[in-house]
Amino acid sequence: MRQKEIVVSKQATLEHRRASRQAAERAHTARERRGRRLRRLAAAVAAAAVLATAAAIISSSGGSPAAPAAAVPSTPLAGLPERDGVLGDPRAPLTVTEYVDLQCPVCAQAARESLPSLVRDHVRTGRVKLAVRTLHFLGPDSVRAARVAAGAERQGRLWAFLDAFYARQGAENSGYVTDAFLREVARTAGVDADAALGQADSAFATKRLEQANAAAAALGVEGTPTLTVRRGDGPEHVLDANPLDPASVSAALAREARG
Amino acid sequence: MRAACGAVALIGLAIAGYLTAVRLTGGAPVCAIAHGCDVVQQSRYAEVAGVPVALLGLAGYGAILASLARDGEGWRTATAFLSLAGLGFSAWLTYVEIAILDAICIWCVASAACMAALAALSVRRVLAQP
Repeated sequence: MRQKEIVVSKQATLEHRRASRQAAERAHTARERRGRRLRRLAAAVAAAAVLATAAAIISSSGGSPAAPAAAVPSTPLAGLPERDGVLGDPRAPLTVTEYVDLQCPVCAQAARESLPSLVRDHVRTGRVKLAVRTLHFLGPDSVRAARVAAGAERQGRLWAFLDAFYARQGAENSGYVTDAFLREVARTAGVDADAALGQADSAFATKRLEQANAAAAALGVEGTPTLTVRRGDGPEHVLDANPLDPASVSAALAREARG
Repeated sequence: MRAACGAVALIGLAIAGYLTAVRLTGGAPVCAIAHGCDVVQQSRYAEVAGVPVALLGLAGYGAILASLARDGEGWRTATAFLSLAGLGFSAWLTYVEIAILDAICIWCVASAACMAALAALSVRRVLAQP
């Protein structure tokens, strides 16, 4: 009887030892697994951080500003009369006004790709005269550029100035619109640089900027470039056309001309 | 938790899909005056090395969904890696919106929130494995 008890208790002890050894092994395995998992997670976090940082660096440096296209302005405007910033025959029945920001790359694109045919087909033919409103929402460089453009307008060379500016346009708000830059643009456009820069802080320039803002707000202009049209002294409204597509502009102007 | 991850990833996929469609079909390019998605989508930060950011998001959510298709330690870690990378890049883009562009695109912010939720869920999934 006693012997039997002893055997049982020995067995119990053995089982207990085995159980606790297994438990310890399980705990060890779990610890190892958890450690491995954490190491993997840490590696994933590190790799993710590297990837995201790389993407951010490419994102901030990338999108390299289109190299300024040939710094030689085209001359589609040669010989056209300009009065008070309006290009073309003053008796033209339609007035097309372009809302621009001189820093806006899409405006430069429109000046290169679309303006020449607009001028050739509609302005030179005396059907349209062209006005421009220099908005200046992209940044301080836009404001300075618009003010000096007003100075060029005083000399009857606004459109030449815009053309020369677009040809040298730099990266948005990179601070490229320095006095030296503006003088270079002015010289290319046949503008007296000293006089134009001297006009930058004039009441006239301020008025032009305010007029541009007021007109854009009144018409609901949401971006640049936007083209508007008015017939004679009638009301101005946004032209239903893609400013970058000469065919679309021509078609819309034909509709306007028919009334 | 896997189902929750899948649901959030699907929402993110829908947002990224919408933004990609807007980006690729969006009318004539303009320099937008109004702040918001136009400014953000047309800024130079909307592309990384020529690839629209929205398209990257679409690919990212797609990859996350693919990594959720199967379960296992490797797959869970992959989900965590993808969503953490997505979160990191979303954080950068949100910083750009606020600090540089001064314009907030609500869809982009919503996507960043999805990525944050995915990152939290997927890290928990890695740690809570059986």
